[in-house]
Parts: sequence; structure tokens; C-alpha cells
Amino acid sequence: MKSGLVWLITASLTAAQPVADFRNIAAQVGLTQAFPNGGTSIKKYIIETTGSGIAFLDYDNDGYLDLFVVSGEGGSSRLYHNNGKGKFDDVTAGSGITVKGWGQGVCVGDFDNDGFTDILVTYWGQNALYRNIAGRRFEDVTARAHLTQPVARYNTGCAMLDYNRDGHLDLFIANYLQFDFATTPKPGANPFCYYRGTAVSCGPRGLPFASSLLYRNNGDGTFTDVSDSSGVSAPKQSYCLGVITGDFNRDGWPDIFVACDQTPSLLFINRKDGTFREEALLRGVALDQDGKALSGMGAAAADYDGDGWLDLFRTNFSDERETLYRNRGGGEFDDATAAAGLARNTRYVGWGCGFFDFDNDGWSDLMLVNGHVFPEVDRLKIDIHNAQRGIVYRNTGHGTFDDVSESAGFGILERHVSRGAAFGDFDNDGAIEIAINNQNEPPAFLKNFQRAPGNWVLLKLEGTRSNRSAIGAQVRLTAGDRTQIDEVRSGGSYLSQNDLRLHFGLAGATAIDSVEILWPSGKKQVERGLAVNRVIAIREKP
Amino acid sequence: MRVIDFLTLALTAVTLSAQSDLLIEGLQQFEKGEYLAAEITLQKAGNDPRAHTFLALTRAALGHCPQAVADLEKQFNAPLNNDLSLLAGLGLARCRAAVSADAALPVLAQLRARFPDDADVLYESARVYMRAWNDVVYTMFQKAPSSFRVNQMSAEVFETQSNFKQAIAEYQNAIAKNPKAINLHFRLGRAVLMESHEPQALDQALQEFQAELALNPSDAAAEYQIAQVLVAQQKQAEARPHYEKAVALNPDFAEALIAVARIDLNAHHYPEAIARLERAVSLRPDSESAHYALMLAYRNAGRAADAKREQVELEKITKPPEGEFTNFLKKLDEKRQP
Repeated sequence: MKSGLVWLITASLTAAQPVADFRNIAAQVGLTQAFPNGGTSIKKYIIETTGSGIAFLDYDNDGYLDLFVVSGEGGSSRLYHNNGKGKFDDVTAGSGITVKGWGQGVCVGDFDNDGFTDILVTYWGQNALYRNIAGRRFEDVTARAHLTQPVARYNTGCAMLDYNRDGHLDLFIANYLQFDFATTPKPGANPFCYYRGTAVSCGPRGLPFASSLLYRNNGDGTFTDVSDSSGVSAPKQSYCLGVITGDFNRDGWPDIFVACDQTPSLLFINRKDGTFREEALLRGVALDQDGKALSGMGAAAADYDGDGWLDLFRTNFSDERETLYRNRGGGEFDDATAAAGLARNTRYVGWGCGFFDFDNDGWSDLMLVNGHVFPEVDRLKIDIHNAQRGIVYRNTGHGTFDDVSESAGFGILERHVSRGAAFGDFDNDGAIEIAINNQNEPPAFLKNFQRAPGNWVLLKLEGTRSNRSAIGAQVRLTAGDRTQIDEVRSGGSYLSQNDLRLHFGLAGATAIDSVEILWPSGKKQVERGLAVNRVIAIREKP
Repeated sequence: MRVIDFLTLALTAVTLSAQSDLLIEGLQQFEKGEYLAAEITLQKAGNDPRAHTFLALTRAALGHCPQAVADLEKQFNAPLNNDLSLLAGLGLARCRAAVSADAALPVLAQLRARFPDDADVLYESARVYMRAWNDVVYTMFQKAPSSFRVNQMSAEVFETQSNFKQAIAEYQNAIAKNPKAINLHFRLGRAVLMESHEPQALDQALQEFQAELALNPSDAAAEYQIAQVLVAQQKQAEARPHYEKAVALNPDFAEALIAVARIDLNAHHYPEAIARLERAVSLRPDSESAHYALMLAYRNAGRAADAKREQVELEKITKPPEGEFTNFLKKLDEKRQP
């Protein structure tokens, strides 16, 4: 009895203090619909393993983030309207969201500069570009925009970006591989169809490669396929999934990073003349520190160490580490995974991911969601499972992260077969929520019920000479003794879309000294003396 | 049987005669697997050395090895015809293996030296080595069932089957029987790391590697594994001396050189890092890890041309093999790519 009491006292003294209280409130906010994505106990084909993404967007410009969830075969992608009172209403019926099939990724942006955010959904098959009609409904303009593909392609991650800085958003679409049901081998058919001795869906190894796509916006509602002339189709030895854009070498032009599965990841450096050159290997983001190509899935970018350069994070497979690439300046990277404290979680298959400042201390924290590709793994009785929990890392502010997953709330510890994750502030309270697309389940919706101590600001940028969504705008915010950077970007995470507004945690700063914006047009703009704890809209000055 | 055009072999420099007709007929029967008929026909084919060789091969195929071995040996050692020599060598190896795997090993060693890329030679070698392995293991289990070596062998087999839980148990049994045997703690530590992804597994493995080092203080691999665990535990500073000790114990330990160089790189000590990595590359010219680290070291040191050169080397060794399957996939790719 006495020894038990001592144990209890000791345990209570040593228990980790909760750093956050993320809870899954999907049902409370109205997300009860499950989204099918292949088999739940057996998957015969690789197409069942990769979907799907999820997007935050404010499609009706009411100031509240709405939600778009991509579905696999057998269901419908759905649009949810945020009613501003903590609930989503399913408004899919009558919204014009009609395409069904093996939905993969989603990204948003105002491609026609009409002031309303449009949606691109990628598919195995044909992609769908939905034009937003005045925030009331969507119109499928894929064919009219010249985006119909001559054959079924396995389109995955996407991003809208103004790569030629002409004020119109172009489209980048990664492709995974060449797939069809008729010729793809069945589980166990060849050595690429086994996992730890168990027959599983084949690939990606052993299946033919595909190449990435770039469509230039002609400014008249149509696009031209410039994949070959721009150089993005040149790499033909990678299985590409997640896409993240950013000006990684800070030359004022957007670059593109693509996380690739079992093959080198890609970094397309913008050559400022309408073309890209793939330079991932020498720039240090193709492989891990051992020179091995990992199974890249999702990707995120942020200046995690506060040195003014965008760093990269990539999620990978089980028995691999996640990868954190630190930008050492000029867009050259070092693998900082182990040095930053991220080398321990090797049992998870990582997908959606994002840098976000959950405690508003001014340092970007990190979260990733997980889930295996082979449901058959549960039969193996090992410590790797099909449904997996999330991981949260808190940025210490000293170039390292602490794994706080087990003290960040039950929502993080729930096990799902997760894929896309989107980060955004759906109730405009300065705390970021996370929407997660779980295979064959309703999405998870994580809200932090522990009030973050720091101040914050949300910046909503609007281009005038630049594209209206301000995608590619670079922000340098100074508050107190900290300067932080970020960019407005379409796409990211795993085949998903985060809030287009930029969230900054400000710690104890009670005012923002300055916000410097480098617009995609090249114009620089400085706003000074801004207040904290609010959403601030900034329009590009003429 | 291997893909050799037997008739071409037979007809080469054959003067037309009744005996050569018999040789051809015998070869046709041999090729069809009609060994009994082939034996009778080839016996009548006269003194042509090819007839003798194929008669011996036929007898070997029929299991009449005592009658075949002399001719097979003769043809195997004759330098005149490589194809016949190869066939004779394979037949000889099979005949010897019928007696014992050990007896076949010298012939297989010669075959591998003379025909290192031949699939039949490699297959026959693998088959005989496997049999030799089985024979020895069976004997060990029969003669010394309570030895720790039985547990060690069982553990190693479980490891190859990715059954790490059983491997751990067998290593532990082996250690219980012989606590001073070297290499058991090392293998146990590695099996622990393979079995579990729990952070506690790192501590357990670390203890095993330290135990190995206590038994064998000059074990560079154990030093290296200790450092690897410490790095995974975010104890980079503690890891460095272990990597350095591994290099001191084994100056040709390329992985340890690379690890020390990485720490140098992080500290911006480029000349030291580059020197280590250049040595690692010279030790392991096929190592992706060495070339990759050297490429980045040159890059970080501002030696762009050297970095580019290393990039080319790296791309060479990471290029997928141009095998039959790859070619097949390429063709598929060309067909399907829009």
C-alpha cells in the first residue's frame, strides 16, 4: 500500500504537462460523411492507397473558411460551407461539384482573377477545374480551359502558381505513375507486390513512371500545356506525390518542390524565362543524408529556424525517418532531421503535414498525419499498424523540435488511415484547426482547446497587379525582437490546401512593427504599426 | 539444360562420315532428354572427343556417374572448347555433389573462376552451397544440440526470415549458455532495433552493444552502432567519440568515416570532412552514401566543380540496372506515355 502511494505521487509529479488539447470535433462541426478510398482490409491496387486531399478555402468571401473534401471511387467530393457559428453545412448538392472517380488532390486559387477562389481537383483519369461563380456555385470548366487530358493519368499533388509572374495563376500537377486496372499486376504477382513477405498491392516500383505537368494560364480562361517546353516533364524517373511551392533561393521567382515515392524528390528551380531546371540532388533535397531515396509523400515549407530562408519538410514511409531539410542559404539544403530531433518516429507512414504555430510563440511547430498503405500490415502482428496516430512537434526556438504528440490532446492520438491534412483558422480566433481526410471514414477536425498564450495575426492578402489570390506573395513580419517570413501558397501538405491567409504567432508582442510584402508583380510594400489578434486584409497598392 | 546449340557444337569441323551421323543423332536424342537412347547411339559414335564428352554427360544425366567422371574431368580440363568444357564442368560438379557437397566445391570454384557470370554455374554453386550448409547445420544439431552455437544459428536463421522476436529469444538463450562469446550481444542489439520502433528499444540495443564492447574492446562495429543509437537519441556530441574510436580501431571503416565527416560538415569544418570523405570514397567507390556526402561537402565548401563531378559519379552508381525487366518497363513506358 505504502509503495503504491509513493508510485502515485511520483507518477503525478513526472507526468508531462499538456502542451495543447487537440480534440477531434468533426461530428460537432457537421463532418459525419465517410469518404471511400479503396479496401479497408485488403487493397488490390495502388490507386486505393494514395487518396485523398482536403482543402480550406473561403469560397464565398464571407471571412470564414469553408471546407472541400476529396473522395475516392464510390463517393462524392463534398463542399462544406462554414456558417460562422462553428458548423459546416454540406452544400455539395447544387454547388456544381459533380465529378466522381478516384479523386486525389486539391488546390485552390483565383485563376481568372474575378475575386472568387476556384478549385482544381486531381484524379486518376481526368482532372476537374471548378470555376467559382460569384461565390454561389461552381462550374466545371475543365474542357473549356483546355485541360482535358488525352489519356487517363495518375494526377496527384497540385499547386496554382504564377511561375512567369504575368499576374495569372498557372497550374502545376504532379503525376505518380502510369496505372490501369487491366495491366497492373495483382498482389503477389512479382517481387514489387510484397511487404514483409505478405502479398500486397503492387508498386510503385515495377510500374512505369509518369512525368509532371505545367499548364500556362493564357489569361482568357484557357491554359496551354507547357510541360515539355518549361522543362518540368524532363525528370522521368520519379513517382511524384506532394507539391509545395516557394521562393527557396529568394530570387523573387517561385520554385517547386515535389515529394516523390521511393525515388529522388524533385526541386524545380525557376530560371525566370518560363523554364525550370530540376536541381534537387545538388541542392540536397532529393535524398536523405545517406544518399538514399525515401518514400516521399507530403511536403511543407517554413523558416523553422528563423534565419530568413524557407526550409522543407517531407513525410516518408515506415522504417524511414521524416526528412527536414534546412536551407543553408541560396536554396541549398542540408538534411537536419536528426540534428533537429525528428529521427525517432520510424513506425509511421506519413502523409499530410504542415508547419503551424499552435502555441503562438512565433516559432513554427510541425504536425504530420499518418496511416499505412497496406491494411494487410495488421495481420503481421508487428508494431507497425494500418491505422496510426498523428505526430506533433513543438519548435523549441533553438533549431530543434520536441515530440509532444502524447501531451497534445486525444485528437492527436486517435488512430486513422489518414492522408491529406489542411491547416487553417476556421473560427478566426488565432488558433489553427486541422482538417484531415481519413480513408473510408469521416474526416477528423482537430481544434485546440488549450488557449495559446501568445498574440497572433492573420494576414489576408489581395493582389491587384499580381494574381488576385496573392499566391507567391512573400511576407516579412517584424514584431518585437522577431522577424518571421512566410509565403502565400496554393497546394502543399499531402495533396491538400491550407488557409490562403498567413498566420503568425507573435508571442508577447502587442503590436506589429512592420509587414513587408514582396508581391509576385515585383512590387514591394510595407505596412507599419498594425494591431494584433485580428485578421488584417492588405491589398496590393497600385 | 543450358541454351547451347548442340548441333552446331557437333558439326563444327566434323568430317562427314557414318560416325558423325551417329554423333548428330546422339546429340539430338540427348537434347530431347532421351538419355537411354543417346547412351546407346553415342557409344557407337567412335573416338570423336565430343562423342566421349556427350556420352559422359548422358551418363551423368542418367546417374551413372562412376562411368562418366573420367571423361568429364578430361573435357573440363581441356582448353579447346569453352562450351564443352563448361558442360563437362557442370556435369562433373553434379556427379561429385551426388557423393558429397564438399567433393563438388573445388569443381564449382574452378567453374566460377572461369565462367563468373554464367547463370548455370551460379545456380549450381548456390544449390551445392545450400546443401553443404544444410549438411553442416544438421550435423551440428545432431552432435551438439545443447551448444550455444545451435541457438546462435537459429537466431541468425530467424533474422533472415525477419522473425526478429524469435531471433531475440534465441540470441538471449545463446548468451545465457555462453556469456563470454563474442558477437552475440552485437547481433542481439541489431535484432532489437529491427524488432521494435519504440524509443526504449534504443536503450536496450545500446546496452547490448556496450556489452559486446566490454567483451571485445576492439570491436569497431560495436563502437559504430553505439554512436548510431546515440545519434538517434539526439546525443550527437556523445556519439562523435564513438565514431572516432570506430575509425581508430578500423581505419578502413567507410561508414564510420562518413559519420565523422558529417559531424565535421555540421561544424563547417570542410577540409577535415572532405579528407575523410575522399578516403571513404576511395575505400567504397560504389557507396552512394560516401559520394553523396562528398558531393555536399564540396558544395558547402564552395568547390562547385568538384561537387558537380561527384554528382555525376553518384548518378552513375544510382542509375537503375539496365536489366531485362528495366528494358521491359521502358518499352511499356514508351507505349503508354502520351
